[in-house]
Amino acid sequence: MGFTKKDKAEKIIEDVLEKPSSRRTFLKGASIAMAAGSAALATGCMPSGDDSSSGEMQLRWQEYFKKHYRLMTQKEKDETVDRLERLAKIQDDIDVQIGTEPPIENVLYGYAFNISRCEGFMECVTACVKENNLDRKTNTQYIRIFEMEPGKLDPSTGDGQFYHKVPVENKFYMGVQCFHCENAPCIKACPTKATWREPDGIVVVDYNWCIGCRYCQAACPYFGRRFNWGKGEVPKEELTTKQHYLGNRKRPMGKMEKCTFCIQRTRKGRLPACVDACPTGSRVFGNLLDPDSEIRYVLKHKKVFRMKENIGTQPKFWYFID
Amino acid sequence: MKIYFPNFFQALLLIVLFTGGSAAFANEKSFIDEIKGADAPFDNRSVKLVRPVTLETVLAKEEYQGGAFRVLARKQHIERYKCSSCHVPGKPVLVQQGFELTHGDVVINHGRKGNELSCIDCHNQEDRDYLEDKKGRKIDFDHSYQLCGQCHFRQKRDWLGGAHGKRVTNWAGDRVVYNCASCHNPHSPRFEKRFPATYSVPLN
Repeated sequence: MGFTKKDKAEKIIEDVLEKPSSRRTFLKGASIAMAAGSAALATGCMPSGDDSSSGEMQLRWQEYFKKHYRLMTQKEKDETVDRLERLAKIQDDIDVQIGTEPPIENVLYGYAFNISRCEGFMECVTACVKENNLDRKTNTQYIRIFEMEPGKLDPSTGDGQFYHKVPVENKFYMGVQCFHCENAPCIKACPTKATWREPDGIVVVDYNWCIGCRYCQAACPYFGRRFNWGKGEVPKEELTTKQHYLGNRKRPMGKMEKCTFCIQRTRKGRLPACVDACPTGSRVFGNLLDPDSEIRYVLKHKKVFRMKENIGTQPKFWYFID
Repeated sequence: MKIYFPNFFQALLLIVLFTGGSAAFANEKSFIDEIKGADAPFDNRSVKLVRPVTLETVLAKEEYQGGAFRVLARKQHIERYKCSSCHVPGKPVLVQQGFELTHGDVVINHGRKGNELSCIDCHNQEDRDYLEDKKGRKIDFDHSYQLCGQCHFRQKRDWLGGAHGKRVTNWAGDRVVYNCASCHNPHSPRFEKRFPATYSVPLN
């Protein structure tokens, strides 16, 4: 039942987006004409032999007028990925590999966090920053760890900016990030349909379709979303070059971004960077549709709860205690 | 008759509303129900791995809910294994020599304060290449979970199921998990206090 309704909704979205829009077709035609014109202009004005700048301009023009990710055919995805890789080479002289791996069949990702094991070492945060090429200048972090008083379960009562030796006696630690809600308010809030739920449950953002209005940030009850204030400055030697179109690729300035369960890793069978880095084993990740998976064991045998369960967002992120 | 028609339509409307409402209700529940109902085994090997585990592993002697699994091997990480290269039967090793050569860094902080475990609580007294549990069974260093689990049985149960410890590198593929001593120092198993790896700034 749940699927059919979702499929129907997706169909409607596709219909609306795909309906021949005179504005779109006009812009597209104009873009091709302008690209051709600009390329001609550039080659006409610049000394011959300097192909890179005109090539870059052409690539950027084509990038401006590409489709929404969900409406692209695989060929169009490959083309935009190729353009992005070439642009990264021209602009920053780095070789990146951007993937467009589709969701895996019969997989629904789920996450569990053990609040009685986490000791606040923050290894997950550094691993996440590195893996997802987060802006070092504004110190963007997808994960926050709160130092909590016993008996309190609301992170707003905790200390999110601790820096002292951990663990502290009689405190516990609680990690917060994007919970990838099944019924996500951010998706409903987005006016351009730039954020959606993938079939494997990951809520993703099309960075090129996002207009940076931040409605989704206001809609998220968990403070899971981050706004890209800067250009995303990452030291070249620290850059993660294995990327995904919907994941850790270079985000333009002024776009929303957030945890994607490390889509560039998880769709290839790997664990997210935070799980890989956790020294205490507080983080459990796996396939909710696999009855033998670790996450299913936790849901079946442990005392679990989700944050703000009463508001009906259905997060796929559970907290549990030993 | 005139009074009857609106009633009939009202009833029809109610029926439509009711069935629609219950359908919406079923939809809201479907996410958790869908998970609970997902009993078909998932073939973890169907996911093509880009980064297979390259660390040395051994097949565990116990099973988890999904059958056999592997644990990280331990022996090659023990400096100066095999222990029998010094501990030869019939040739006693002086405590002084032990401290100088290999065991000087061992600090026992395992068990209640003032009543800590001693070496032979876990190590086999005769054959030093093995551990020994309270029933006197020889236990291989690669399978130390069999020894640790005799006291820490709750942790071992969770470890087998997946709520304690974690998998290595991949969520898919054959299950490979960290061994007890991969994370815990068996002589001093609690993690030491230290400064966090980073700090957080206020949200934008």
